[in-house]
Amino acid sequence: MSSLTDRYVQATLRRLPARQRTDIERELRVSIADAVDDRVEAGDDPGPAEVAALTRLGDPARLAAGYADRPLQLIGPAVFLDYTRMLSTLLVSVVPVVAAVAAFFGALDEKPWLTVAGDSLGAAVTTAVHIAVWTTLAYALLDRSSAMTPRRSWTPDALPQPPSRRARWGELIAETVILVLVTAFLLLSPDLLAPWLYDTGFVWVFIALGVLSLGTSFARYYLRWSLPLALAASVVSGAGAAVLAWAAATDHLLNPDSGWPAGTTAWVTAGLIGLAAWSLVQAVVDTFTHARRS
Amino acid sequence: MSDDELLATHLQELRRGTVVLACLLVLIRPNYGYALLDLLAQRGFSVDANTLYPLLRRLEKQGLLTSDWNTDEARPRKFYRTSAAGAALADTLSRDWDQLDAALRILKGAS
Repeated sequence: MSSLTDRYVQATLRRLPARQRTDIERELRVSIADAVDDRVEAGDDPGPAEVAALTRLGDPARLAAGYADRPLQLIGPAVFLDYTRMLSTLLVSVVPVVAAVAAFFGALDEKPWLTVAGDSLGAAVTTAVHIAVWTTLAYALLDRSSAMTPRRSWTPDALPQPPSRRARWGELIAETVILVLVTAFLLLSPDLLAPWLYDTGFVWVFIALGVLSLGTSFARYYLRWSLPLALAASVVSGAGAAVLAWAAATDHLLNPDSGWPAGTTAWVTAGLIGLAAWSLVQAVVDTFTHARRS
Repeated sequence: MSDDELLATHLQELRRGTVVLACLLVLIRPNYGYALLDLLAQRGFSVDANTLYPLLRRLEKQGLLTSDWNTDEARPRKFYRTSAAGAALADTLSRDWDQLDAALRILKGAS
């Protein structure tokens, strides 16, 4: 067995799922050997014959792509454009804000400007990497899941209403940007908030609820609106609102000792409770309108 | 894209489905990948090896071909044979081909 053929076979098999390999290897090796023998019988030397046979077979990557019975891409054409749009929007909007906020707090602490610049750059890079990783992961999962759900036959009724769909894409972007900014704020500048949040790890409950709620928004945008999905969305935003209202009402949210001007904590608390109540009402109304429409 | 490439692309598009039909028709008699490549080339179906080998497996997975390893000779080879479902599909495709051919003739006559 010559090394050139071995290398070719390995290069092909490397790109294939393990359970397909044994059988394909046997068949491929025989096919190559047959082709080489043919050329040798026609008068070629074994070395050039092998090179010619493998050249004829072409790039192993293309051959493997033919054999593979699964998508050889992370994010398919169905969601690729949305993916690049979401990624670039998030990067362009969130990263500068995080960098500016980090620089602002550094300057507030009167650190040397080189440290401030370094911290700001570090925060920007960390945020950008996080955004890239999680957005890519989310869209890869989305691509897999939408490929698995059986397609119903398409009718023009399924066409989205242009303004509402655009509005909802904007909503989706806004929601994502807000979540990323709030998360960055929660994790980067803990001074303004109650130490209790961080000591008990409760901050992660907030972040998890936010991510879940964003997940339901993505599901609503990309998948069909269904009753289980509607219920899940209401439960998640209801839980988020309830937790926010409870933490604000019991003074577990803000840190009164850290630079909040006198009296503002009460107003901020009241505002947060109002926000929670509003999002609760909105979740219920949203569910009912969608349920009635469908 | 140059004119030659463009022509090659169009020819490839036109012939793509006919390779499947040719395989189903030829493999009524069992045969193995490399010999099939040769046979198809002799009959005027020049198809690339890196298209044909994966195609045979796909057709097998769809139940249109069956396969057996023949270990009688010094070099064991995987022989493919058209299944009953494959033969039925070949019939349908052949009829469709004839209809297309007739339709094209009418188009050419009309112009």
